[in-house]
Amino acid sequence: MKGFLKGFSRLTEAIAGGMLAAIFLIFLLQILLRYFFTPAGWTLELIGILWVWVIFFSCAFIVRERDHVKFDIIYLSVPMRVRQIFAMLAAAAIVVGMLYSFLPTWDYIDWMKIRKTSTVRNPFSGEKIPLRTVFSIYAVFMLVVAARYAWLFFDVMRNGPPKAELELVVGYNVVDDHPRVDGEDDEEADK
Amino acid sequence: MSFELLSCLLALFVLAGIGTPIGYSILLASLVYLGTAGLDVALAGEKILQGFYKSTILLAVPLFIVAANIMNAGSITDRLLNFCVAAVGRFKGGLGHVNVVASLIFSGMSGSAVADAAGIGKIIIEMMTKDGRYSRGYAAAITAASATIGPIIPPSIPMVLYALVSKASIGSLFLAGILPGLIMGVVLMAMNYYLAGKRNFALEEPVPLRELPAKTANAFPALLMPAILLYGIYGGVTTPTEAAAVAAFYALLLAALFYRALTFRGLYQVFVDSARSSAAVGVVIGGAFILNFIVIQEQIPQSISALLEGSDVSPIVFLILVNLLILALGCVLDATTIILVIVPLFIPTCEALGIDLVHFGVLVVVNSMIGLITPPYGILLFVINAVTDIPLREIISEIWAFLAVLIFALVIMMLMPDLVLWLPRMFGYQG
Repeated sequence: MKGFLKGFSRLTEAIAGGMLAAIFLIFLLQILLRYFFTPAGWTLELIGILWVWVIFFSCAFIVRERDHVKFDIIYLSVPMRVRQIFAMLAAAAIVVGMLYSFLPTWDYIDWMKIRKTSTVRNPFSGEKIPLRTVFSIYAVFMLVVAARYAWLFFDVMRNGPPKAELELVVGYNVVDDHPRVDGEDDEEADK
Repeated sequence: MSFELLSCLLALFVLAGIGTPIGYSILLASLVYLGTAGLDVALAGEKILQGFYKSTILLAVPLFIVAANIMNAGSITDRLLNFCVAAVGRFKGGLGHVNVVASLIFSGMSGSAVADAAGIGKIIIEMMTKDGRYSRGYAAAITAASATIGPIIPPSIPMVLYALVSKASIGSLFLAGILPGLIMGVVLMAMNYYLAGKRNFALEEPVPLRELPAKTANAFPALLMPAILLYGIYGGVTTPTEAAAVAAFYALLLAALFYRALTFRGLYQVFVDSARSSAAVGVVIGGAFILNFIVIQEQIPQSISALLEGSDVSPIVFLILVNLLILALGCVLDATTIILVIVPLFIPTCEALGIDLVHFGVLVVVNSMIGLITPPYGILLFVINAVTDIPLREIISEIWAFLAVLIFALVIMMLMPDLVLWLPRMFGYQG
């Protein structure tokens, strides 16, 4: 199970990083095409699709709890016991919210099958792609986030609250009681 | 204020207050709003998806993050620092000046204050505190203060976010940031010079002048980056978003081919880390899309305008009030949240009062950057505290002098719009 999780998280990291790299390359291609060949209409649309996917795929699979932008003054100043309650409340709220809005949101996404991309085509069938397919990642995002926070809820209940981002930076090699699959510490985008 | 809005705000404050990620807090609070207002809860997802799908300008954000990560991974940062030590290290308060100049140059690339503080800041603090020449608190404080310049000088992620909410021209915003960024650098160096004299800090061993050309040559390709970026945008060669891609590409060429300091494995990690950071910022931006819908639905900007019109506020008083508010909020909120959530409320009033949106944008960004170093809640203070282990208390006791001169610079920018708008106007900005 652990091996599977590790392999899975490697795979999702590779997909997310790959999609971002693709955005980067398509932008360069777009400039190249404009100056040396004929400008292509499909580049911007494909970038738009990938961008939606990078955000929600990454949020679902590779963004760790401590990577999120948070307001943590209060959280950091209360005792562990209260933190535990806070973390469980937050996780429960996210699970409830995601599940509550899932079906109506899915209705919207499903309805978007009537709209199609304007220039990007499926490379295999040559047909335009319904926006339902493009937006489907948001449904995946909602379900995976709900599942992750449900898991976090029980994890916090059993093992206490996770460390805050700053505590991890300062003392991550001293105490590591939360063995999560870990890349290198990345700096957060500017706040 | 309607009941729906009230419950929405209550949910937002409670959720964010207990440490729920801000992006998810906004999403959940908007569900509360939609639910109690009897609207379709799917509107939240719809606004977020459509928002991202349509706003290509936002793509500059992940691309700047990629560029900054490549810089840090590819030793470009170190080379710039060596150049700065050789150039300004010899003067009184030498390493303090190096700190500011390095931020000025480096900011031309990263567009991120936290990247500045964590990357270049860590190295320079070590240099300053070696042999006890500067006190730990002083070194940390000037590093934090100079890192605020990063996002003022283009490229700048906060400016991109401001352009998104205000519809102001991103090109003009970038140009408008250059002079204010330099002013901030000058006031910080002046304060450093004054304090160095007063406290009699030891002088550096000057780097022999004959080594300067070699160090400059080594750093020169990296120094070209901001020029390439600005030429791309103002020469009409690329769109601002494409320019971000070009900047990342240039950083990649330098790091991989010219300096040979970036492995394939390192590059892979850069993309994964950048995807992670972009997505974390992305959920907050997504939250801003849906919040924006609620703000319009509730006609909040109109109410604010009406309120101010009734009390006959002049533009300058309005600017002062908004700046005081943002400065106060900056003590507790981070810049992304302020720019995406708070600032849009004031845009219509700015337009009604005839305040230039580019001028306003620069003020807002400078102000929220100052917020990054204002105690008690300054992200930059925490980052430096985290990477160097210098106690917060020592950093905070030294930060006030630098904070004061930065606010002084902000006041100058506020009172003299022509100063801020001079450069954009040179390039044809009508405002």
